[in-house]
Amino acid sequence: MTVEAGTAIPSSSSHAEEPNYLTHETGLKSWLFTLDHKRIGLMYLVSVLLMFFLGGVMALLVRTELLFAGETLMEADTYNKIFTLHGAIMVFLFIIPAIPGAIGNFFLPIMLGAKDVAFPRLNLLSFYIYCAGTVLALVAIVVGSVDTGWTFYTPYSTRADSSVIWMTGAAFVLGFSSILTGVNFISTVHKMRAPGLHWKRLPLFIWGIYATSIVQVLATPVLAITLFLLIMEKTLSVGVFDPALGGDPVLFQHFFWFYSHPAVYIMILPGMAIVNELIATFSHRKIFGYMFVAMSSLGLGLVGFLVWAHHMFTSGMSEYATMVFSALTFLVAIPSGVKIFNWVATLYEGSISFLSPMLYGLSFLVLFTIGGVTGLFLATLATDIHLHDTYFVVAHFHYVMVGGTVFGFVGGLHYWWPKMTGKMYDEKLAKVSWFLVFVGFNVTFLSQFVMGSQGMPRRYYDYLDQFQPLHMASSGGAYILGLGFIIMSFMFVKSLRSGAKAPRNPWASAGYEWMTTTPPHPHNFEETPVMTRGPYDYHLCTEEELWDGFDEDFQPSKKAKA
Amino acid sequence: MTQPQGTVQLPPQLSTIAPEVDAMYYAIYWISVASFVVIVGAMLYFSYKYRRRPGHEAKPAGHATVLEITWTVAPIFLLAWLFHAGFVTYMHGVVAPDNARDVRVRGMQWNWEFEHEGGVIDELNVLKVPVGHPVRLIMSSSDVLHSVFIPAFRVKRDVVPGMYTTLWFEATHLTEERTCERDADCPEAHFCGRADANGVRTCALPLFCAEYCGAPQGIQDSAGRNTNHSTMLAEVRVVSQEAYDRFLEEGPPAPAHCDAAEDPAACWGEGLFSQNGCNACHSVDGSRAPGPTWQGLWGSTRQFADGSSGVADENYIRESILQPQAKIVTGYSGVNMPPYRFSDRQIDAIIAYMRTLSE
Repeated sequence: MTVEAGTAIPSSSSHAEEPNYLTHETGLKSWLFTLDHKRIGLMYLVSVLLMFFLGGVMALLVRTELLFAGETLMEADTYNKIFTLHGAIMVFLFIIPAIPGAIGNFFLPIMLGAKDVAFPRLNLLSFYIYCAGTVLALVAIVVGSVDTGWTFYTPYSTRADSSVIWMTGAAFVLGFSSILTGVNFISTVHKMRAPGLHWKRLPLFIWGIYATSIVQVLATPVLAITLFLLIMEKTLSVGVFDPALGGDPVLFQHFFWFYSHPAVYIMILPGMAIVNELIATFSHRKIFGYMFVAMSSLGLGLVGFLVWAHHMFTSGMSEYATMVFSALTFLVAIPSGVKIFNWVATLYEGSISFLSPMLYGLSFLVLFTIGGVTGLFLATLATDIHLHDTYFVVAHFHYVMVGGTVFGFVGGLHYWWPKMTGKMYDEKLAKVSWFLVFVGFNVTFLSQFVMGSQGMPRRYYDYLDQFQPLHMASSGGAYILGLGFIIMSFMFVKSLRSGAKAPRNPWASAGYEWMTTTPPHPHNFEETPVMTRGPYDYHLCTEEELWDGFDEDFQPSKKAKA
Repeated sequence: MTQPQGTVQLPPQLSTIAPEVDAMYYAIYWISVASFVVIVGAMLYFSYKYRRRPGHEAKPAGHATVLEITWTVAPIFLLAWLFHAGFVTYMHGVVAPDNARDVRVRGMQWNWEFEHEGGVIDELNVLKVPVGHPVRLIMSSSDVLHSVFIPAFRVKRDVVPGMYTTLWFEATHLTEERTCERDADCPEAHFCGRADANGVRTCALPLFCAEYCGAPQGIQDSAGRNTNHSTMLAEVRVVSQEAYDRFLEEGPPAPAHCDAAEDPAACWGEGLFSQNGCNACHSVDGSRAPGPTWQGLWGSTRQFADGSSGVADENYIRESILQPQAKIVTGYSGVNMPPYRFSDRQIDAIIAYMRTLSE
């Protein structure tokens, strides 16, 4: 069974001379005009990490202002701009492009056994569109001094000046990047799979990215419609959203969430996609209920289109609409639950190693479970009325977006770092930073749950004395979280400078992407691989496939092997 | 009446709907705790039991369609119950009883105005409500989105420009009249309100603005109140029904800023003149307007449309405010001034203001 798969695996002795995508061409031009999905992925990675750093700095400024009641660092107006910056950067410039753009670009073709994505030039174009959108957004935010929150609710956003149009314009441009990447990935998955890689063998990472791509392609155009209507209103005074012109401000919320709720799934599905790979690899076991997990990604993508108005239960829309959207929202719990149950069941009878990527994977299970069950409070109408627009909501979506997506992303970054860079990293430092990030995150946001249920509204510059202790705890947690990320950055930089050479398959994974050399060959595989087993079929792997091809000193997985 | 205590997670229950909402909250809380313990417990147990070690190999994952369908279908029943129970409680909070007393709420950057039955407008950012009687808030906004949120009552509703939204509640406990210097002096979930004319602050329940409404650009928030979204904070005072009726009868007290004025009553009257829109029809400089000018009105002899005449004294003014159609000045027959409801003290203040226009 495994003979043909084995033929694609380069021998351990020869990989020093193998050409790799990092070194086969050099010079700035070879990067700027590259059509190699791996290089484009790396450029995405650098960009989104830069944005993550910026958004993180904003978060720490927000938490520092809130350390004490009253003015601590800045005026109310400045504070409003800072939290808007934090939200807009993190959502539009970091989370949405992070996993599909960086990790998806790099690994989707490799995991399909393909040479590249279906449309390599389109892929480079979507990266440059992302850059253009990023520049536009940053200019709009800084020059236009947007202080509306990342949701741009009318009529506040249309009153002062036209900066909201520039900002939505930036989101629109970024949306094109999303759409093009989505189209590219869908085509690649349909047309470029290696021989033997049928749908039931598709890695779950691919299934997740595939579902994400469908949502991106279908939901993003609505943002264009919203932008068009905003421009019509501003330039031609066509009353759409502004009540002074006979428009309806609640309509904007419908339009906004009709895109932005599916966008929540554009953010979380790739996080879940990565966790599949982490849990499978570090349990040495196929994800339990593979097809159910794959289909639950598509199910989440579908249900994600039907629940947008659950952001609007107090907005004054009709009680019938409120009822319907509450009922539909509960449906989200089912595919999410299916995933969680299957991941836990995968651990059963596995062979589990606790290396840093797996720590992020297991953390995801814990944090996403908290994010999920707190969603029940918000889907239930009676309790949502009390909790809406409080810190409870802030904590809930941070548990999903950070505890889910960011932990997935960072776990994936650890997991694929050796393959991408050809360097190992310091596992001890990685574990220390994981610990700080995990503890810091929970301290920051658990305290926000309690503040929210006690009635602390969100987007507040100042607060009543009763919330002082919990605000201090939350800010303290944020500093721990920040320290964790600083140590992690140091750890990765150290790895680039002096990391040990990474073996072909440092985690003893059966995944297809580990069959090629490290760093990968410019064309991913020297010859088209033929897939004779699934990416999780550990029982069908040879000793050589799993355990060979690296030096034992650098290989923590091997030490545990009998 | 002792105030109920809050819990670690929720503020005290001070409205009739609050216990119902909290029962839902705790039901979901315990469901969540149970789910979390089962999922994370299983995760930790499996992680330990099946940890990678010499001599231990993973077993391939098999198929378990029955298990998959079970954990797909079983939660649906629980979720359906949650939806139903949550919706029923929500509807209790949406449909106001027929005997609710209406209070009109106007949100504006960054203040709340409350108008009670009979057009009694209370001082800004103070909401008096009767205990043990349903109150319906009929809310509108003059600029951007706002949202009324009273945590102790478990109610919230956005205030949207261009439409009315409503919410209702029935307060169950009187607000203790307690003076304070800071929030810590007040009972749980209360805060220390703004200083009145004499610098005395009293405890009240917070009414927050929960929908982001911005801040003035570049103005420093040093005074701490009512200059941005986070300080758009009103004081809710639950009073006895008798005290509420008395308040409706007498109207609110003179605004604090008038205490320092040369003629406090005239200062109050001038405020009422513009707050109630009298200035739309009455000028104070003699110019022509739909109604007679107030300049020189006080003490003058009025000629009425029915041929009689009279001196503009206290009784005439009072009658003209409360029953505008009783005596019509010649030349103003076609104007239908609506009756205005003011307390005696407010009418006195208006008269005091009017007198200053005849000096």
